[in-house]
Amino acid sequence: MKSTRLALVLFIGTLNFTLCLSAQAEDSSVALSKKIMDSQCDASIYPVLEEAASPYFKDHKYNEYSEYINSLLKQKKDACPVLNYNAALARFNQLKYLEESQGWDEYFAQGNDYRDQIVSNLAKAIEGTPAGDTLNIRSRLLLWQFHRDQQDVFNEEALNDLIAGVTEYAKSAQDTALIKEVADKIAAYGEKGRSKEIYRIYVEKLTGADVKPEDLKQAALNFYKEGNLDLSESVFDAYIDKLLNSPEKERSVPEFLEIAALFSYKDTGNKDMPYAEKIFALIESVGGKEALGEEQIYLRAFNLEKSKDWPGAKDAYAELIERYPESKYAQRATFKLGVIYTYILRDKDGGSNYFVKLAEKDNISPEGISSLYQLGLLNQWQGESAKAKAYYSKLIEKAQGKFSETQSLTNSRLKEIEEGKPLDSKLQVFLDNSLKEENSQFNMSRASLSLNPYSANMGSEVAVNSSAISGASGCMQVELQYLWSGDLGGSSPQSAQANFNTSYKDPGTKVINLLVLVPSGTLDRALDFVDIE
Amino acid sequence: MIAGGKPYIIKGVCYNPVPAGQNFDFDWWSDKSKPWLADGELMRQMGVNTIRLYQSHEDLNEVRLVIRELYEKFGIRTVIGDWLGFWEYPCPFYGDKAFQDKVKKNVLEMVVALKDEPGVLFWVMGNENNYSCLGHVNPWSSDEIDKEPDAQKQKAMRAKIYYSFVNDIAKEIHKIDPNHPVALGNGELVGLEFAKDYCPDIDIVACIIYRGKTFGNLFKSLKMTYDRPVFIAEFGADAYDVFAGKEDQNMQAFFLESQWRQIYANLYNNKSGEGNCIGGSVFEWADEWWKHNPSDSEAWKAHDTEGGWTNGSYYYDIKVEGGKNMNEEWFGIVALSEQMEQGTNKRIPRKAYYVIREFWKNPYLALKKKGNKK
Repeated sequence: MKSTRLALVLFIGTLNFTLCLSAQAEDSSVALSKKIMDSQCDASIYPVLEEAASPYFKDHKYNEYSEYINSLLKQKKDACPVLNYNAALARFNQLKYLEESQGWDEYFAQGNDYRDQIVSNLAKAIEGTPAGDTLNIRSRLLLWQFHRDQQDVFNEEALNDLIAGVTEYAKSAQDTALIKEVADKIAAYGEKGRSKEIYRIYVEKLTGADVKPEDLKQAALNFYKEGNLDLSESVFDAYIDKLLNSPEKERSVPEFLEIAALFSYKDTGNKDMPYAEKIFALIESVGGKEALGEEQIYLRAFNLEKSKDWPGAKDAYAELIERYPESKYAQRATFKLGVIYTYILRDKDGGSNYFVKLAEKDNISPEGISSLYQLGLLNQWQGESAKAKAYYSKLIEKAQGKFSETQSLTNSRLKEIEEGKPLDSKLQVFLDNSLKEENSQFNMSRASLSLNPYSANMGSEVAVNSSAISGASGCMQVELQYLWSGDLGGSSPQSAQANFNTSYKDPGTKVINLLVLVPSGTLDRALDFVDIE
Repeated sequence: MIAGGKPYIIKGVCYNPVPAGQNFDFDWWSDKSKPWLADGELMRQMGVNTIRLYQSHEDLNEVRLVIRELYEKFGIRTVIGDWLGFWEYPCPFYGDKAFQDKVKKNVLEMVVALKDEPGVLFWVMGNENNYSCLGHVNPWSSDEIDKEPDAQKQKAMRAKIYYSFVNDIAKEIHKIDPNHPVALGNGELVGLEFAKDYCPDIDIVACIIYRGKTFGNLFKSLKMTYDRPVFIAEFGADAYDVFAGKEDQNMQAFFLESQWRQIYANLYNNKSGEGNCIGGSVFEWADEWWKHNPSDSEAWKAHDTEGGWTNGSYYYDIKVEGGKNMNEEWFGIVALSEQMEQGTNKRIPRKAYYVIREFWKNPYLALKKKGNKK
């Protein structure tokens, strides 16, 4: 009860207070002081202190409040931890306020005194409270925040003390909210690794022997919905451990599948692709390859593709078409395998085999049409005009007036062949840099693409963004040129455009190519897919 | 470094007082409001003892007046540079003898005109011109370079031409003015392996370094590659967090204090460092509102908040979409107000101004405090 009340009081104490300072309130401060002085520095002081602080904090009268608290401390002979904490809190808020209001004269003239007061008051608050006390943790937290904001050499030491304090606190504390609050605060400062240590303590508290797995799962789902993926994953890990330690761990696979799907790539919503892959791998180790069905293998492959883990995606797509050759995803997977092998892994023959498989199918599919185009293009690039023309002609014949965008590209290629002109220059340089051995240094490490969304409907907008890491150029931005090629839909981006928006009229997997040039030549290339439904 | 017969630590700022609404063409040298006087007083109060000018002006009498007034009124010395034609259209033809002669003539005229000014500290040749040798920015070539198919060899050929040219100028300056050192303005350490061979007559290496809150192993690396006294000619941090979409004076101040601490730790006779640093000039004294969009006169009137270039070492806003986190218009340690004062934009010192002032008051105490736990 004491901890709960203290938590409430101190939480409110950190907020900007909303009451107004009025003459009446000033009059009542005498009565408040008397109450504080008459109290035993126990829980009864907290609401009184809150009432006293409110008008000062609201009007940023930190000096007056500090004087007030210090006068009380003198009378209490410094032996009141919560007064010490509040004195430090006042100076902490004051420094923040001076920074926000750019009150630099006071900040620099008095700042060191205020800092000394913060450190001294918090030391007394920590010394005056037992390890398992809420105020002890809050004082350590404030001390760490202070050093963290200062970015001084005591930052690490204060954080270690805080974590040690929380560890001690967790041994006896019934109230876990403070532990999470500390972890959230550390995470908000960008200390992900250290916040995980506290989250782990929090999860251990949550996952005591008597906690039911379903409660654990629900907690993990709640954190997922809040967007706190670190915590969600920690709780899911604890949930997974519980299931794995159960006698019938194979039965836990459907649960794991649900978790993997939750974190897998999706265009909107929370996702953590490496975590999803970790769960997919776990499923495989627990239930064997058969534990993943058609939908799950595709999901895994797609997740790996969006992580740009191309070898992983290649293996997963290959497994999909091997185990489920009639899958509704088989043609898309086969086409993507063709592109990954050809342009990413630089294995043109390996990739062509997949394109041929699709091209030879009797049915007419977007992927079959795109494969014919790819086969024509690869032959045209190699100077095999007759073969290229044959593939292009077959495409026109099979398309039967559909797939207008691919047909349009094909007509352009056919025109080049018929008029004896070279391949479109942007395609030519992209293929040269993707397929020629001497250009193997262009391995997509310095240029990349990201699309939004990756799965779109016909006619809806797709944003295509690129990023490139050019060489050393100091404060000068290197002038980059962007040579876009492939399936660009309804857009014709210019070479100055690093980004563009487009849309597609036809379904199927579209391949977007990019070659980035610097003034001295090629920087790198990039490629990405978008699936149009 | 010795100046005026005393050991001298360069506590400098890069200086280019372009008012809001103007661009790089603005002739501040002949500005009747004499912005350097108000700035000089603010600098004096802060502890600045040196300004760095990137380029002199065609009227060298006006340049002389600025140097003289800053020195006589505020005790502030001037490091003065020359772009060496880096921004000439369409590119700096360093491989062309006529171009070289023209650039050299301008530099030597400046030296002749200003060498006897007591406020002159030394000369800086170029700024980040070395990046053009890589072919990424302001690329230039020659017939001989064009014939070379190997891109790496092309870079080496450009570096040889450029650094030999700078050394040639340094030699000529020494003949005219034996009293002031000549520095090589160089972006990072890029190309200094060539300078080692082709620039024996350079006295100081003036590096332009943007590595975030520290200079990393810079001082040690320089000893290994091009062992000269080091002047950190340009460094700093912008005061705008483009990811958060707001000014962040705290982060700028934190970075600058950290950078100055490292400069001091590597000064001569400081056993904790390499002992090869002579000081630095922070980029920059005041914001310049024209820099994000130099060709749009309307944009010069506004303080642009869009990032202009990318540097991951300034980690606090690198997550911005597209990665352009560096706000070129926000590097000032004093901001410009639209309110006019003494004929120019009123200066509003940022937190960094005060932080550096406090650091300079007692840098060794600050070093000890930051370096040792209680």
